[in-house]
Amino acid sequence: MKFLVCLKQVPDSTVRVKVAADGKSIATDGITWSISPYDEYAIELALEHKDGDPSTTVSVVTVGPARSRDALRQALAMGCDDATLVTAADTVGGLDVAKALAAVVKEAKPDVVLCGKQASDDDQGLVGPALAEALGWPHVGMLTKIAAVADGVELWREIEGGHEVWTAPTPVVGLVHKSAKEPRYPSLPGIMKAKKKEIPEKDLAALGVTPGAPRAEVVAMEPPPQRGGGKILKADGDVKALAAELARLLHEEAKVL
Amino acid sequence: MSPPTQGIWAIVLLVLTIAAAAVFGYRVLGLYRLLRLGRDESRVDQPWRRLRDEIVVYLGQRKLLKRPYYIRGVGHALIFWGFLVITWGSADLLLRGIVGWQLPFTDTAAYAWILDVFAVAVLVSVVVAVFRRAVLRPPRMHRVPEGYVILTLIGFLMLTLLVFESAAIAATRDELGQLLRVFPPVAAALAPLISTAAGPAIFAGAWWAHVVTILAFAVYLPRTKHLHIVTTLPNVFFRSSRPRGALQLIDDIENKETFGAANVRDFSWKQLLDGYTCTECGRCSDNCPALATGKTLDPQKIVLDIRDQLLREGPKLLADAKAETTAPAHWVATKPDELWACTTCAACVEACPVTIEHIDKIVDMRRSLTLMEGAAPPEAQRAMTNIERAGNPWGEARATRGDWAEGLGIPTFAEKPDAEYLYFVGCAASYDRRNQRVARALASILKSAGVSFAILGAAETCNGDPARRMGNEYLFQLQAQQNIETLNAAAVKKVITSCPHCFNTIANEYPQLGGNYEVVHALPLVKKLLAEKKLTLTGGAAAEIVAYHDPCYLGRHNGIYDAPRDVLDAVPGVTRAEIAPHNRERGFCCGAGGGRMWMEEKMGQRVNHRRVDQLLATKSGATKVASGCPYCLIMLEEGVGAKGVQESIKPVDVLELVAARLETS
Ligand code: SF4
Ligand code: SF4
Repeated sequence: MKFLVCLKQVPDSTVRVKVAADGKSIATDGITWSISPYDEYAIELALEHKDGDPSTTVSVVTVGPARSRDALRQALAMGCDDATLVTAADTVGGLDVAKALAAVVKEAKPDVVLCGKQASDDDQGLVGPALAEALGWPHVGMLTKIAAVADGVELWREIEGGHEVWTAPTPVVGLVHKSAKEPRYPSLPGIMKAKKKEIPEKDLAALGVTPGAPRAEVVAMEPPPQRGGGKILKADGDVKALAAELARLLHEEAKVL
Repeated sequence: MSPPTQGIWAIVLLVLTIAAAAVFGYRVLGLYRLLRLGRDESRVDQPWRRLRDEIVVYLGQRKLLKRPYYIRGVGHALIFWGFLVITWGSADLLLRGIVGWQLPFTDTAAYAWILDVFAVAVLVSVVVAVFRRAVLRPPRMHRVPEGYVILTLIGFLMLTLLVFESAAIAATRDELGQLLRVFPPVAAALAPLISTAAGPAIFAGAWWAHVVTILAFAVYLPRTKHLHIVTTLPNVFFRSSRPRGALQLIDDIENKETFGAANVRDFSWKQLLDGYTCTECGRCSDNCPALATGKTLDPQKIVLDIRDQLLREGPKLLADAKAETTAPAHWVATKPDELWACTTCAACVEACPVTIEHIDKIVDMRRSLTLMEGAAPPEAQRAMTNIERAGNPWGEARATRGDWAEGLGIPTFAEKPDAEYLYFVGCAASYDRRNQRVARALASILKSAGVSFAILGAAETCNGDPARRMGNEYLFQLQAQQNIETLNAAAVKKVITSCPHCFNTIANEYPQLGGNYEVVHALPLVKKLLAEKKLTLTGGAAAEIVAYHDPCYLGRHNGIYDAPRDVLDAVPGVTRAEIAPHNRERGFCCGAGGGRMWMEEKMGQRVNHRRVDQLLATKSGATKVASGCPYCLIMLEEGVGAKGVQESIKPVDVLELVAARLETS
């Protein structure tokens, strides 16, 4: 089976994010970038297939600025076979990204396209469904497992308190929620091989995509309010009074009761 | 008396000796060829130090005479020294028997005396050793029949020696000049039991029995663990010249294709020689905190697994260089669980009488798992990813590394480029709330003593110790290079650390990558500041008993046992207690080294809980347990909490006790 995983490079989850001077974006100087966590699960899901069936191929693609190349290298180091970088400014909107990806998909002709269910930076969850729409393929979300069956794939979805199993014909777009195992740690030979691999680069124009004006705009960004220090109630014998005071505080100050 | 090898008998002896030597040589050559299957590694630097080791460790039996093995150690030393004396005599017997040459000293009365006394000492030791095996049955010693065979051979050698010596006295009792000779005491005491007439026959019989036993011993030896009497000689000579705390560098890592050890060919020849040398005494296992708390790891088994696999697969590999060796996933005996349980505490290395290097083997196999297969436990992978991305194993934000120092007036190197010392804070003291207090304590001590220092703040990154010990040499080297670049750019010459792991890595491992600094752990520095009277402590706080816990990377890995104790003793009001017998070189690990801090511990008892058990068992009345390591502090905190004794005994860092008694001016 042929997999194509679409990924996005995002600020690493360990980064302490700061709002940039313009007040509507984040300061990016000196921060660490990595593959968005759900995309990493998507890669792992595809690679698990490859572990079981060596004839499987796993390609990765991203649409983003030149630094996104590092994210593709990381995916190659994990064991993906090839990677494509579609260069585009950070500001290109989700629909245009989906169009560009659709052009790549049409060329590569995979059986299964996987995306993370959403990117961890803007959490929009737009590109995956938009890509399925642009391709006219079926799309299934919240995947945790994929198994090949006769004329298609079996897709496991996580739902509240359990899971559903769907089948779909290929080609299909799947949005990944989690993989059974944590995304693998690349082996050193994998890292070294990935360093030497060619990563072909395309731009939007070559894929026939002309970015339109963004349909949504970030107006302002603000850091969350500082967390205040907790309050400690002293127990000086009268437990009842203490409980009453706690209830009052939870009701009046914390407003949770 | 002249040897009973007149006429044809000299030829018989010659033939027997040649045959025995041939079998011995053939067997040793076979072992040598197997050894050569291993990876190349140069072990000939510092020849004088190596010769000194030979004298101290081999001839001096230094590593046998250790707590709690003094009695056994003395027993072994007696057998060994006896052996040396007797081997000289044996060589003389053979030479004289065949060609009539005599080795120096062997005809002196003094030598006869020494031989006589040693023969009895060895006999006694043999009896004790048999008693231990048969009756006392030490739990970890492999009790294979081989041990009895060897002991019987040794015992028989000593008996025959005494018999032919006394027979010689008996046979010559009427000769002129007897009265003038000084006889060895035991043989002389036995001689009256033998009649003059029977003397020559008994002499000849015992003499031949003795000589044949020597030859049998030589033939049998290469097949047994008793080969260690031969292999210890090269094994001690070729022991690692690295500081104990330094792991081996993988040189030119970017251009290598395989990493670590997945089969016998991946170990260096010295690692394989270790296998031949293991005496199966079990001392390493006796002292292993992982084994003691019910993990599957057993350091002796690691050494023997490698040896057994070499003996099993080696001949096939010799015959066909391309033959498949057992793949890592099917590593026959050693399982990943065993390897990941190691805290790299070095209790095994410390205990081993024949300088076997257990940690190197374990880390080599971890390297294969991590670097070749990406098969570290998930929590370890998470820690490594965190180091890669955030510069610390906890995955705290890189940018907030220096936040602990905010408002304390501690300059960064950028702000104070001429600072004498860099305080390399380390990940734990930078991010862990409990350990931030230790960093602040050290800062206040340094200020009080007028030491010129600065920190790197957010420019500091993990020193790489956890990554290296989890087998990720590549990540270690990236981290180390990054820090070395930062330190060199700031022209840092002297480094203070409050973490023994930072200390060990920067002092002992960074030089492998070209980072050479004068590194000092805070406790020896504080000791010096106290001695120089740059630091004065006042006795305001109440008197207390404080137990000292030896961190492995201060103690066993770097030999710093006394400085922390001296500092404790200098703190007004503090009475030091020891967690005996698990103190100093027998200190018991807290369970966090070797990257274990970030791995789950599901098997058996937790190592830190055992440590707290030991602490409580001393009933020293201690209300605090002090250490000099952030990992130990975290583990002890968790341990006393889990045992429900956090109200009666508080874990602290020695630095905190000092800082609490600084003279506030
Ligand atoms: S280093 Fe410590 S934990 Fe590891 S095998 Fe040796 S004694 Fe056991
Ligand atoms: S490795 Fe050393 S300590 Fe362990 S059993 Fe062998 S000789 Fe004894």
